[in-house]
Amino acid sequence: MSIIVLLPLLGALSLLAVPAGPGGVVQARIHAILAAGGTLVLVAILVGLFDRDRGDLQYVDHQSWVAQAGLSWDVGVDGISLWLIVLTAVIFAIAIGAACARLPERPRGYLAMLLLAETGLLGLFAAGHLVLFYVFWEAMLIPFYFLIAMWGGEGRRRATHLFVIYTMVGSLLMLVSILATAFVARDITGQFTFTIRDLEGVTFTDTQSTWLFLGFALAFAIKLPLWPFHAWLPVAYRAAPILVTGLLAAVMSKAGVYGFLRIGVPVFPEGADRLAVPIGALAVIGIAYGSLLAWRAPTMRMLVAYSSLAHLGFIVLGIIALDVQASQGAVLQMVNHGVVVAAAFAIVAVINRAAPDDRIDGIGGLAAGAPRLTGIFLIVTMASLAIPGSNSFAGEFLILTGVFRQHVWLAVLACLGIAYAAVYMLRLYQSTMNGPVRGGRGADAELRARDLAVILPLVAVMLVIALWPRGIVDATTPSVERALAPAQIAADRPEDQIRFQPPANPPADALPLPGDETPDAAAEATP
Amino acid sequence: MSSLNVVAATPLLITAGTATVAMTVGLLPGRMTRRHGPALIGIAGIVAAIVMSAVLWGGRQEAFGGGLRADRFSLLLNILFLSAALVTILLAWREPAAVDRRGEYVTLILVSTAGMMLVAGAGDLITIFLGIEILSVSLYVLCALEVWREKSLESGLKYLIAGAVGASFLLYGLALLYGATGTTSLSAIGEQLEGTSFTGEPLVVAAMALIAGGLAFKASAAPFHMWTPDVYEGAPTTVTAFMSTAVKAAAFAAFLRLFSGVMPDLQPDWSVAIAVLAVASIVIGNVAALVQSNMKRLLAYSSIAQAGYLLIGVAAGSIDGAEAVLYYLLAYGAMTLAAFAVVIIREREVEDGDDISALAGYGRARPVVGAVMTVAMLSLAGFPPLSGFIGKFLLFGSAVEADLTWLAVVGAVGSMVSLGYYLRVIAVTWSEGPDGGPRKVLAIPGPVGLATVTAGVSVIALSLLASPVLEACRGAAEALLAA
Repeated sequence: MSIIVLLPLLGALSLLAVPAGPGGVVQARIHAILAAGGTLVLVAILVGLFDRDRGDLQYVDHQSWVAQAGLSWDVGVDGISLWLIVLTAVIFAIAIGAACARLPERPRGYLAMLLLAETGLLGLFAAGHLVLFYVFWEAMLIPFYFLIAMWGGEGRRRATHLFVIYTMVGSLLMLVSILATAFVARDITGQFTFTIRDLEGVTFTDTQSTWLFLGFALAFAIKLPLWPFHAWLPVAYRAAPILVTGLLAAVMSKAGVYGFLRIGVPVFPEGADRLAVPIGALAVIGIAYGSLLAWRAPTMRMLVAYSSLAHLGFIVLGIIALDVQASQGAVLQMVNHGVVVAAAFAIVAVINRAAPDDRIDGIGGLAAGAPRLTGIFLIVTMASLAIPGSNSFAGEFLILTGVFRQHVWLAVLACLGIAYAAVYMLRLYQSTMNGPVRGGRGADAELRARDLAVILPLVAVMLVIALWPRGIVDATTPSVERALAPAQIAADRPEDQIRFQPPANPPADALPLPGDETPDAAAEATP
Repeated sequence: MSSLNVVAATPLLITAGTATVAMTVGLLPGRMTRRHGPALIGIAGIVAAIVMSAVLWGGRQEAFGGGLRADRFSLLLNILFLSAALVTILLAWREPAAVDRRGEYVTLILVSTAGMMLVAGAGDLITIFLGIEILSVSLYVLCALEVWREKSLESGLKYLIAGAVGASFLLYGLALLYGATGTTSLSAIGEQLEGTSFTGEPLVVAAMALIAGGLAFKASAAPFHMWTPDVYEGAPTTVTAFMSTAVKAAAFAAFLRLFSGVMPDLQPDWSVAIAVLAVASIVIGNVAALVQSNMKRLLAYSSIAQAGYLLIGVAAGSIDGAEAVLYYLLAYGAMTLAAFAVVIIREREVEDGDDISALAGYGRARPVVGAVMTVAMLSLAGFPPLSGFIGKFLLFGSAVEADLTWLAVVGAVGSMVSLGYYLRVIAVTWSEGPDGGPRKVLAIPGPVGLATVTAGVSVIALSLLASPVLEACRGAAEALLAA
């Protein structure tokens, strides 16, 4: 696992050794592609070797770092982090491939920053230790800061300031919460540790749990971003190079959601239960707010950015419902959203080529000259709408079913989000692809081989998930159940709502084996 | 225990002796001898003193009738002071102020270091005051060493006045403490104050307030920081580098000796006052640094903020707090020296080299120097996993443990604000320079380059080797509290 996390970092360091000049550019490309491609191959092997029936961390690597302060290098993978690691490796491999195809100025630095960002995210998703989680959480900020500050467009200064200040406020509160968690846990158990698995076993009082959860939740909410902590998002998404905007939306936004599922809910179940409704309400507001902004967005890029605000609202809702099914949906939806939004940004980049001013009302009728683009855009639009048969459908369905079970009203309000999505996505599709030809020739926007190399893998992933969502969902089940179990006990939910169970009446020929304890028997045994 | 235990004082004696020899060599005829002799002797003396400190490590001895202690606490700080002095002498290899007056320069640096060693090893109120004065007086002269530059003279004068005020605060406080307890020996004062509280001890309250104020002057903690930006900007940059690292460390050594070491029982009372100083320093330092365009002023305000973080550890008043302060002092020394080293290199090349804009395009022209600056800034900002992060992590951790969570929150928010200016320096360093490249670039003298890279590498090494370093800090902190 450590090799996967550190390989992109090695790639970034090796880029420093590449000489400047034209010869160096070729070398830089090779180094970057080797690092990103190598990581992707290793992740593919990891998926093959992963034991889908286990809920705990696998391929754990533990090295002591600062023993006195309880700091250690602790990485591993479980059913939740596995898919996010896959998502990161896939999206970054594609992004670095695309970046190599069309290099900006100062290519070495650019590629090195992309690789650093990849290490940051992979490390974050693999971290099994609170401080290591924080280290990667922060480490991710540096490359994104420089990517926006040095390769961004208009308004990048303000964007970087807002981006850094917002995310740092949250993460420093998280740092204090991390310390507080460890000390409070030590007072309770007598053992000083930052290891997430150990902390999951600590019983905090309701008040402690609520405050600590709140500290973490703020950091996660800002990174997501959850309404009303999203002020940095439009500015940063607008100023960043489009590739970086894609990465921010596709992968970095998952860091916050993942934090809820990895730390917030399992370590502070009482806090999560107490704050579930307020956070769920914020998520629902975010869905509505993001959708409305997307509907009114002047440019394609902003529309996609705001729509991801809405989609992230769904994902948070899925987690905060503290329902196994909803959380499974949330994990699935994280992957779906990452792939769909990356494809959407790739399409926006292509359309930008035909019409550099990407105002929606300035483009139209591209379908006539760009049939391939139109077809693929339709697939992406459908996926974004989560229509049945698309990859997002299974995710949203699982989320909404779970939320309905726990908080009916939140689910009802969230359902409106699907309607909103139809409004803005269809508006975008219709006004850009159909209708009279406006601004730029469609032929300029037609997908070329290079564009297809970026978009087709994403579409392929979308199709695979659409046909076989169980592939992801099944592997997450043991981990999600494990993560949510304490929260459900805290919420005092009846047993039949906790587990995503097989049919209650097994077929008559399926006789229980001696010593085999069914879940029902366990439920009866507990008073 | 023998009253005059010279062995325990060897690091101090070597340093002071080297200072004398260096001064004499500086007077010898022969241009080369005058130029390089004192520095080489100084370096040899410092290395010998560091070795002696390492040899004495582990034991616990007293010299001069208990006036000076050689315990892990003082020995660790000795190594820090001596290393800072060593780096300073290397950095000053081509410094105009140092080249023609090498004898004086090396002597004054060494005398000042000896003063710091007295403070760190003090077993008596008088030793503390003597140490503070010895270190200050040499620095007044060092600040004004570039006599042909008005700003340098002004800086020396300002430091003299501010220092005198600080010293009188401190002396008054020490006198009151003596008045309250009837003894100048720190261990005797500690025994007297055991089990007491500030209530009903007005003399002790006043003494503590004055001592805290006096030391806050030396540590440039707000609201006693007013002199810092002007003096830092005016003094020769190598002297500024020395002041901002070693002097600060000496002030914190005195803070720890007097507060955590002598009156641990009164911690609930004084920790509030220290916490207030910490908050003021963090807020004022960070906010003012945001608007600076001069690198030396920026680092001056940053050092005020950093003093605030260090005070958090003092306020915690525990072994963990003292351990965190010691570790952070080491890390802070490395990262500040690294940052100043880059400024010193740049200053030689262009006239306004201490301006942030002078660094534009520098990262591309000199990647190694640019990397050192980047590491220093990221570490000062507390970015993981660099040593600055580990230090802050320990400081905030000690505050949380001492039920001062709010103080940790203030520190955390302060670090966040500090990113605004630290990241700006990095962005400028790696940006495109004017006309696509930096202005004039000169060859870096070997010793300066060596010192720069060493400081940069130390920032990273202190993070990778945090475990053994912390073990040493732990030992030092325990020695302090066992006193």
